[in-house]
Amino acid sequence: MYKQQVIRRILLSFFIGLLFPLGLLAQNTLEVTAKADSSSIRIGEQVKLHLKATVPAAVFNKPEFRLLLPIVPDSLDHFEVVTRSRVDTLTQQDMKVLQQTLTVTSFDSGHWEFPPQKFEVYGATGANSVDTLFSQPLGIDVNTVAVDTTKAFKPIKTVRAVPWNIWDYWLYIAIGAAVVLIALGLWLYFRKRPEKKPAEKLPLVTPYDLARQQLKSLKEEQLWQQGDIKQYYTRLTDILRTYFEHQFGIAALEQTSEELLKNIKPVTKLNQQRDKLRSLLAIADLAKFAKLQPTADEHEDCMTKAEEILEWTRPKEEPVAQTPGAPDEKPQTGA
Amino acid sequence: MENTSSDIRQLNEKIHQASAFVDLLNMELGKVIVGQRYMVERLLIGLLAQGHVLLEGVPGLAKTLSIKSLSSAINAKFSRIQFTPDLLPADVVGTMIYNQQKNEFVVRKGPIFANFILADEINRAPAKVQSALLEAMQERQITIGDSTFKLDDPFLVLATQNPIEQEGTYTLPEAQVDRFMLKVVIGYPTKEEERHIIRQNLNPEASAPIRPVIQPADILEARKLVREVYMDEKIEKYIIDIVFATRNPEEYKLQKLKPLISYGGSPRASINLALAAKAYAFMKRRGYVIPEDVRSICFDVMRHRVGLTYEAEAENVTSENILSEILNAVEVP
Repeated sequence: MYKQQVIRRILLSFFIGLLFPLGLLAQNTLEVTAKADSSSIRIGEQVKLHLKATVPAAVFNKPEFRLLLPIVPDSLDHFEVVTRSRVDTLTQQDMKVLQQTLTVTSFDSGHWEFPPQKFEVYGATGANSVDTLFSQPLGIDVNTVAVDTTKAFKPIKTVRAVPWNIWDYWLYIAIGAAVVLIALGLWLYFRKRPEKKPAEKLPLVTPYDLARQQLKSLKEEQLWQQGDIKQYYTRLTDILRTYFEHQFGIAALEQTSEELLKNIKPVTKLNQQRDKLRSLLAIADLAKFAKLQPTADEHEDCMTKAEEILEWTRPKEEPVAQTPGAPDEKPQTGA
Repeated sequence: MENTSSDIRQLNEKIHQASAFVDLLNMELGKVIVGQRYMVERLLIGLLAQGHVLLEGVPGLAKTLSIKSLSSAINAKFSRIQFTPDLLPADVVGTMIYNQQKNEFVVRKGPIFANFILADEINRAPAKVQSALLEAMQERQITIGDSTFKLDDPFLVLATQNPIEQEGTYTLPEAQVDRFMLKVVIGYPTKEEERHIIRQNLNPEASAPIRPVIQPADILEARKLVREVYMDEKIEKYIIDIVFATRNPEEYKLQKLKPLISYGGSPRASINLALAAKAYAFMKRRGYVIPEDVRSICFDVMRHRVGLTYEAEAENVTSENILSEILNAVEVP
């Protein structure tokens, strides 16, 4: 028994003695490692894996030197690579360190070994030398979540509110601010704009007053005295029709004499004066359409009748505004 | 030559005397025709203005009786043509027939050779028959074989259309409808008139027969006077405004009518409106036309001369609606 132990120690010392020079080489020349942040994770949990190669600066600076870090596939046995960092090069005293970090996870529970990773070194020991170094394997325990079966099932969690962040609403805030600014700008513009001068108010003229004025001006023009009888009666009837139109809201200008006599009746007191209006319109029609030449007395009589009709139908108080620039008389057409 | 005031006064007196027969005619026709004064008045306008009349109304409204009575009262020849789908132009105007005894072709004149023609249900005959009649109406002469015959004067065609039965009819084209001076739409009589009609028909012996009160020559004389009726330029302008408003309603502040009118009145519409207004003034025993005359006759002259669009038909807008709008918008002189 003792003898066997002695032989075992001798053999162990022999093998350690054989490995010792290589370790020295590694320390003085080139070293590769693979380290995990944790050797135990929960299922699906991620762990960082650091692949590192330490190279003496003298070797690193050789023109022919090249180091290829391990090419780890996306999926290994029981492990998935989630992300890869870029290769980082650091200077530590007279050494150069090349390192890369992998984020790995596992969805299989158990004890799994992350396999040794191959680093290829070109031109480290000679111009065309090729060396291959392997990192140590890494054992990682992947644990399932402990379930307390003695407790009841918990309900599914409700939807969680996203934490409020002002930058999520920047567009709406910008639009709102723009609207407020535009409104403010418009308000300032219109406030500072010179106010329009109020339209000059003309004195209010009632249809009655207007008709009286027009009759007066017709008299002053002395149309029939100058032989323009047709124009005299055209103007006379137009003044009356315009008056009826404004005063009683009937389309008198578009009605014939008969229609006017019929339609004026319900809206005025003209019942008693209707014969006067009828005779006036009849004479006017004859003068306008049959070249009748009424006597001077008839001309005067028609004017008097028109004035009487105005008086009879004179309104109490219903002024209408005379718009600026509007003609005070209906434009005349024809002869 | 321009009429002077005294000319018009003389003309007025002349027409006042000459138009007395209108009352006589109305009285005579009133013996057998109850109501329908509107239709009778329009027939006389057509007669005096030398224009033909298209009547639209349901059957039984005394259309035939009116024209027959009118011809009797004028001592004129009357004939009635019932238009049917198998009617031929020769059935209307006449044809050449072979005389075996004389061994030659002789002319057999058709029913159109009369003073008053009633073309009953004109839209039931094919287009070629309608054309034959309408051509005769326009030319007032007929050619049969190598011979041309002038139609008798007065010559008045009264065509009827039934508005309710449109199956199997041949609608008159717009160009041919335009040849009728008036299109008169006849309505039903009033209750009182209908009672008179019943009584009159139950006791036909009581009603006196129509006797001739005037001669065709009197009508021809009256026609000359109708042409002389004075129409002031203000009235001419009013007529033109009405007709132009059917063509360009937007110029008369009637933009809303623009999409409803496919075509407006032709120059023939203006001519006929002026002529009919003169005839109406004559019947009212005046020697001059006033705006009332134009307005009174306007619907009958214009209703078949205003084309409606599909939009108007879809909205149940009639040509009468359009004309009403126009008359209410165009200023009366």
